[in-house]
Amino acid sequence: LFTSGGTDFFIVYYCCLYISLILKVNLYSILTYKMGVDDVDNINAVLYKPLDIRLESRPIPQPKPEEVQLRIQKVGICGSDVHYWQTGAIGDFIVKAPMVLGHEASAVVSAVGSDVTSLKIGDRVAIEPGVPCRRCDHCKQGRYNLCPGMQFCATPPYDGNLARYYCHPADFCYKLPDNVSMEEGALLEPLSVAVHACNRAGVRLGHNVLICGAGPIGLVNLLTAKAMGARSVIITDIDEDRLNTALKIGADKALNISGKTVNEVVKAVHDLVEDIDVTIECSGAESAINLGIYCTKSGGVLQLVGLGSAIVQLPIVNATVREVDIRGTFRYVNCYPKALAMVASGKVNVKSLITHRFSLGQTLEAFETAHSKGVGLLKL
Amino acid sequence: MGDSVNINAVLYKPLDIRLEHRDIPKPGKGQVQLRMQKVGICGSDVHYWQHGAIGDFILRAPMVLGHEASGVVSEVGEGVTELKVGDRVAIEPGEPCRCCVHCKSGRYNLCPGMQFCATPPYDGNLARFYCHAADFCYKLPDHVTMEEGALLEPLSVGVHACTRAGVALGNTVLICGAGPIGLVNLVTAKAMGAYKVLVTDVDENRLNAAKSLGADYTVNVAGKSVEDNVKIIVDAIGEVDVSIECSGVESSVHTGVYSTKPGGVLQLVGLGSPFASLPIVNATVREVDIRGTFRYANCYPKALAMVASGKVNVKPLITHRFTLKQTLDAFNTALSKESQSIKVMIDCSGDH
Repeated sequence: LFTSGGTDFFIVYYCCLYISLILKVNLYSILTYKMGVDDVDNINAVLYKPLDIRLESRPIPQPKPEEVQLRIQKVGICGSDVHYWQTGAIGDFIVKAPMVLGHEASAVVSAVGSDVTSLKIGDRVAIEPGVPCRRCDHCKQGRYNLCPGMQFCATPPYDGNLARYYCHPADFCYKLPDNVSMEEGALLEPLSVAVHACNRAGVRLGHNVLICGAGPIGLVNLLTAKAMGARSVIITDIDEDRLNTALKIGADKALNISGKTVNEVVKAVHDLVEDIDVTIECSGAESAINLGIYCTKSGGVLQLVGLGSAIVQLPIVNATVREVDIRGTFRYVNCYPKALAMVASGKVNVKSLITHRFSLGQTLEAFETAHSKGVGLLKL
Repeated sequence: MGDSVNINAVLYKPLDIRLEHRDIPKPGKGQVQLRMQKVGICGSDVHYWQHGAIGDFILRAPMVLGHEASGVVSEVGEGVTELKVGDRVAIEPGEPCRCCVHCKSGRYNLCPGMQFCATPPYDGNLARFYCHAADFCYKLPDHVTMEEGALLEPLSVGVHACTRAGVALGNTVLICGAGPIGLVNLVTAKAMGAYKVLVTDVDENRLNAAKSLGADYTVNVAGKSVEDNVKIIVDAIGEVDVSIECSGVESSVHTGVYSTKPGGVLQLVGLGSPFASLPIVNATVREVDIRGTFRYANCYPKALAMVASGKVNVKPLITHRFTLKQTLDAFNTALSKESQSIKVMIDCSGDH
């Protein structure tokens, strides 16, 4: 394993074959957990080691001066949660001690720390799960997602919020307007991934956008690109059901690329639109990244979101001489307010992404559903 | 004095350069006629000479070589007001279509209809006389020499790369490769306010040239693994804001990715094999952007400003000088490793 700069945080995510498999296979049922209104027992879903999730009681945490205490309402399952459950690690992040899962969450404020003025008890909030150090160069320059000291829910060694009670800095909790549901609040997390990717890619009014992969990340990018004014969004996948879902939520064209060569797909894309301004690659597959380079116009952008093999073969001269920029995406930064605005305005309907619902007590079943190939695709 | 004899250096096929007379061209509308003065040899000229093709650009008919040039205006065409006979100019060798979306959005280097000197099928300007669009000829102040004028072409590659990479005041910069392109990027990065620049190469002589042009650190990367080289680089200068890869070598590209800080930029200038492996997850999760470079756009004025201000001394880049009639010797020198040439300059003026 190779680390650079001596900082543990920026570590290569190796061998993410599992993640790409998961992302391709489903995991695009986004599952939610209901918490009982009268419960005071702080049940947490704790990962002890691979394939060993336990529901256990923990003391109700008290908020620090800058934090709020939250009665968690809805928590979605992400591919990374499933991956930790299955393998205990993602790249150099290794589960070495029991860790609470979950990071896509919404809640109701149940207590406020002494310094908190922005929120009060009873406020409904979406929780941005990562707390950066606030002091390093990345934090000070507005790219806190790259902070080496980031404390991110359910990334070892930090606990997540798949629990009844959880405390979090108030400035990373965003108050939801009355017209935004708790489920939508939880969905702001994956939606923020898309807001960040589309921002980094420079998606704007009139653009033609190609999205590789119609899993949840591809779908939130589709919704976001449309909200940003993209003229047409073409989406590719190897699964017909996923493509149908994409069409239902707004894709202009859906291409099934199963069994096709890269050249065939490039031709098919260019038959549909003359110029692709931005490609957002959400699968991590080497062939899709190659495709993304060929399909993007000269001077355009290939935005990488999906994570697959650590090292891939790329048509690098093609990208270089046509100035097709290749940009990465890591989580999000200053995106929650934008994601919330999109949902609150009614511009974007993310509710359709939820396909299964469970209670906290059914956590294991929820994870099994998320992981199971049998579940297949997003079904509306 | 050779005023009426228009000798051109023409590539007929690989390894077959001929000096031949051609009619003196007349300037069309919007063009100027130029008495060519100095023309530098680029790696691409050498490559066409050796192989007859670069990628999909294939030599199919005799083509005049040369595109790094300066000249003196000898006649002005219809409608030209910004230049007059006698003006000394640097020549930006590509004329785009001016109408396509790339041209209209300021990225004319990407124009599909670009007519670029010495890229088949368009003739270059390694000749005594040549005509060119006047708006792509930049008048040189008196104190800027004709050789410096010719060097504005490779220097513009450096300006474009550093601009695309976002090199800024206080940055740390890694430059992979100390050939002419690495060196122009070095001087440009420094001129743009880079704080520390580290240059790598496998050739000690080239690294010495880099040191003399202002590199703060040089590292000989020969015989070491990517991991070892990255450690040496990061120990010396930290993870860099910008890496500019000028060699096209795969291991060097990898070194660039790993040496760049999260949120930084790896700027690709060098061209190697069409396909290369990349540590893509590392680049993705650390948001190390990978950007390509193709020639330049709107860079000549900046390159000229750098040279005219005295901020940048590019004259040391010229290591060998020949006349137009010695073109073959010039190309052999440019090709040879033993010559240790950086920039070979050909004098097209006069009768020699």
